[in-house]
Amino acid sequence: MRAQPALMQETARADQSLNAHALRADARRESLRLLALLAPSLFLVFAIIIVPIGWLFWLSLFDEAGALSAANYARFFEQASYIKTFVTTFKVAFIVTGACVLLGYPLAYMLSQLPRRAASICLIFVILPFWTSVLVRTYAWLVILQRKGLINSWLIDLGIISQPLSLANNLSGVVIGMTHILLPFLVLPLYASMKTIDTDCLRAGMNLGAGPAATFRQIFFPLSLPGLASGVVIVFVLCLGFFVTPALMGGGKVIMWAMRMEQTTSLYSNWGAGAALGVVLLVVTLALLGLFQWLLGARATGVWSSR
Amino acid sequence: MSIAPSALPISMRRIEKRFGSVPVLRDLNLDVEAGEFLTLLGPSGSGKTTLLMVLAGFVRANAGSIRVGDDEIITTPPHKRNIGMVFQTYALFPHMNVFHNIAFPLKQRGVAATETAERVEKALDLVKLQGLGERRVDQLSGGQRQRVALARAIVFEPRIVLMDEPLSALDKGLREHMQIELRALHRRLGMTTVYVTHDQREAITMSDRIAVMNGGRIEQLDKPETLYATPQTRFVAGFIGESNFIPVECRNGSVWYEDRRIHTAAPTPASGQHLMVVRPEKLRLLAANAEQPNGVNVLDATLSDIIYQGDSFVCYAVLRDGRQLTLRDYCRSDVLARMPAPGQPVSLGLDAQDTILVAAE
Amino acid sequence: MNRTRSVSVVAIAGLMASLAAPAMAGDTITVASWGGTYQEAQTKAFFKPTADALGITIKEDTTNGLDDVRLQVTGNAVKWDITELGADECARGSKEGLFEKLDYGIIDKSGINPKLVHDDWVGISYTSVVLIYRTDVFGDKGPKTWADFWNVEKFPGRRALSGSQATETLSVAALAEGIPIDKVYPVDIDGALKSVDKIRGHVDAWWTSGAQAMQLVKDGEVDMASIWNGRAGTLKKEGAPVSFSFDQGVLTADCMVIPKGAKNKEAAMKALAMFVSPQLQANLPLYVDNGPVNEKAFETGKIPQDRIKDINSAPENVKKQVLQDAEFWRDNLVEATEKFNNLIQQ
Repeated sequence: MRAQPALMQETARADQSLNAHALRADARRESLRLLALLAPSLFLVFAIIIVPIGWLFWLSLFDEAGALSAANYARFFEQASYIKTFVTTFKVAFIVTGACVLLGYPLAYMLSQLPRRAASICLIFVILPFWTSVLVRTYAWLVILQRKGLINSWLIDLGIISQPLSLANNLSGVVIGMTHILLPFLVLPLYASMKTIDTDCLRAGMNLGAGPAATFRQIFFPLSLPGLASGVVIVFVLCLGFFVTPALMGGGKVIMWAMRMEQTTSLYSNWGAGAALGVVLLVVTLALLGLFQWLLGARATGVWSSR
Repeated sequence: MSIAPSALPISMRRIEKRFGSVPVLRDLNLDVEAGEFLTLLGPSGSGKTTLLMVLAGFVRANAGSIRVGDDEIITTPPHKRNIGMVFQTYALFPHMNVFHNIAFPLKQRGVAATETAERVEKALDLVKLQGLGERRVDQLSGGQRQRVALARAIVFEPRIVLMDEPLSALDKGLREHMQIELRALHRRLGMTTVYVTHDQREAITMSDRIAVMNGGRIEQLDKPETLYATPQTRFVAGFIGESNFIPVECRNGSVWYEDRRIHTAAPTPASGQHLMVVRPEKLRLLAANAEQPNGVNVLDATLSDIIYQGDSFVCYAVLRDGRQLTLRDYCRSDVLARMPAPGQPVSLGLDAQDTILVAAE
Repeated sequence: MNRTRSVSVVAIAGLMASLAAPAMAGDTITVASWGGTYQEAQTKAFFKPTADALGITIKEDTTNGLDDVRLQVTGNAVKWDITELGADECARGSKEGLFEKLDYGIIDKSGINPKLVHDDWVGISYTSVVLIYRTDVFGDKGPKTWADFWNVEKFPGRRALSGSQATETLSVAALAEGIPIDKVYPVDIDGALKSVDKIRGHVDAWWTSGAQAMQLVKDGEVDMASIWNGRAGTLKKEGAPVSFSFDQGVLTADCMVIPKGAKNKEAAMKALAMFVSPQLQANLPLYVDNGPVNEKAFETGKIPQDRIKDINSAPENVKKQVLQDAEFWRDNLVEATEKFNNLIQQ
């Protein structure tokens, strides 16, 4: 008995099972080691996301004199223009997201049905605009859309219209410009998710008596929803923070949240004024994402309850 | 639930299909009887799956005719063919639960809710999945998914059921169990079934008839036992069961292997080079120098190795011309008692009835 | 940067005996301005001659305005010795105590409008907001006054005004109401906003940058606009069919300051004195349309006579314009801008 290994003696004291204590300790050590591996990325997230956002929030609570105050938030209710900006921002985000869905869904569908080689060539054309700066693309749209731009000149030359259409320097200009820039953000995740749809599922649908339209509606579309949802969320959130395109294409009449942040930050000699706008946008965006997850996520990944 | 009354025969005539310039199905003719369980068997690339896809309507043939009963369906779109299909990957709809998967074909046909519920319940009973209707597809095991796919393919009482290697994703034990269950289900429902597999054992176990496909053609269509006993081509002989091939020559109506005359039960070709198909289990180890009755072909060889497999053993023997033969027998004590050792000369006997000739290619 | 500094430290150590000497040869100061062609002109007009005369090195940087200064001063990381700002920013920054006091013993303020000479900031140049119109639309009978600009019946056409510079647009709006140029300040903000309210439905674009204003006019997106004189001059030089004058222009001054805690305050003070001197001020209009802040520049004889009439701060032109009151806007900017933003936003 004296020669019994130390391990066994120890565990015999702790409880009845052989080496249970040592194994538990080993498991603990292993999870600590795994945590240590995670530490750099956790630190990074903390340092570049949590800390700045916390700081932003902290700043927003102080007024110009540096005293604790709700003035930065009270402004949203005192000044009607903030509510207007807020409404405009969400209106634009909804319209642009809607336009992206209307244009992007058929595009992604077409891409997903093309043979591999043709699809990759077409995908290059989808991604190509990423290689040009947003500024350049926005100016290009200005050239195309303005009163004496390409579209209006053509339409007038063809005798289709006599007065130029107001396509730039207003909401439609903003929507056109932003839709173009954000479309790939919808198409790419949607295309990826459409590619993963099992063609056998579609064949099964037809085999079981659903025509092409019914198969699309009852099988393809629901299965593409997760990709659509992530595309919609990306586009929507990007819309909320968009600056360059509305600033250049909106003719100063379409003021979005990011533009207002810039205005406010330079107008008030107080970082808190701009920070408060950031906090409000962040909170509303997170709330919306939560809602989205709840609505679309459950539908896309969950079960269809029986009737 | 019985499908038998509506089971219909299928008649395929001169089906041609090319992918680009590559012919996949060549002038193919096939008749499936009403209520029959017919298996398309062949290696990959033989065209069996393409033929099934043509039958289901997912692949458009370049030429040919398919009649189901009296109806020509070659141009009918898939959703109007009323053919049930079980896919290799099952192709269950991941966004629907088991009930809705099985109810799907009924919904497309406008079946009332109460009747749908009844029929889905019956189908679930039939595949032994009672009470699992509310399960999500991803909560099911492979075998359960297979059953759901099967239930979905038969719940709308289709005229024909197609199965594309439905058991290939299951592990061996489950696969063998499902083979028996599928067979039983077919007996019970009696629907015309076309089954695709590359597993000859599975084909033999399950089928009424087997069509062996090779290079886009049907090489031989027969009952499993006929196919095994009298393969008509070297390909069929090689693909179904194990075979040793020994080159023989026909001269004036008799068959010769080297200087030895080979006895056959079947009529022999008049002349030409042929192959003798020797099944391992048809060969016997003969007692040394024993007198053999007429009608038994004797081959002299040297034993090179013996492998015990518990219930049976396999002997490898080498003929004088260096050709290797495989022999399988059960481990009966009388056989084991006179088992020669490797390196010893042996005489191998093959009954004339078991001697099969096919054309050399 | 450290290297430069250590070099200058060595240089100064070598000249220990002459520590109190007025010229600090070898010193380096950093001056920040708006960048672009304007700063290039300043380099040629101010920075290079000053560096040569004082024997110092002038490094350049660009600024986005008061926020940058505030960040540096409150963060104790002042990297500029002199920076340019808009006059209203100077007035605000002064109130916040962000700048060093200026030594008018070194800087000669004569010739500079007293409104632009303060304890801790001094004017440096002028821009004007002027009314521009396209001659291919109106010939030479375009809108000449802001009242014309507001008159949509007599002058139909598309219009643009500044949306980012509420001070300028409100000044212009007051002029449009018929208020004489010497009565515009202090601006009746509510009155000016009412005036904006009248025109806003007819404004097709509220520009937010000089480049945008120029593009709107150049591409014919609008037929008339408020625009900075520098941009207007460029358009004309490029041959665009446009016409503008300094009548009823709004003069806005830029200023220079020494941020609080600047490392080379004394050298900066001397450099700043050079920048505002008539001789160097007279260089500026040779390179850019921004007018000199020191009216004595026009007496130096450096500026050609035929050029003087095109300079916004030439005495003849100053009389036709309103000078924006920086201290008025310091006290009213936030409220006025918020109300203005609310008004122009759809």
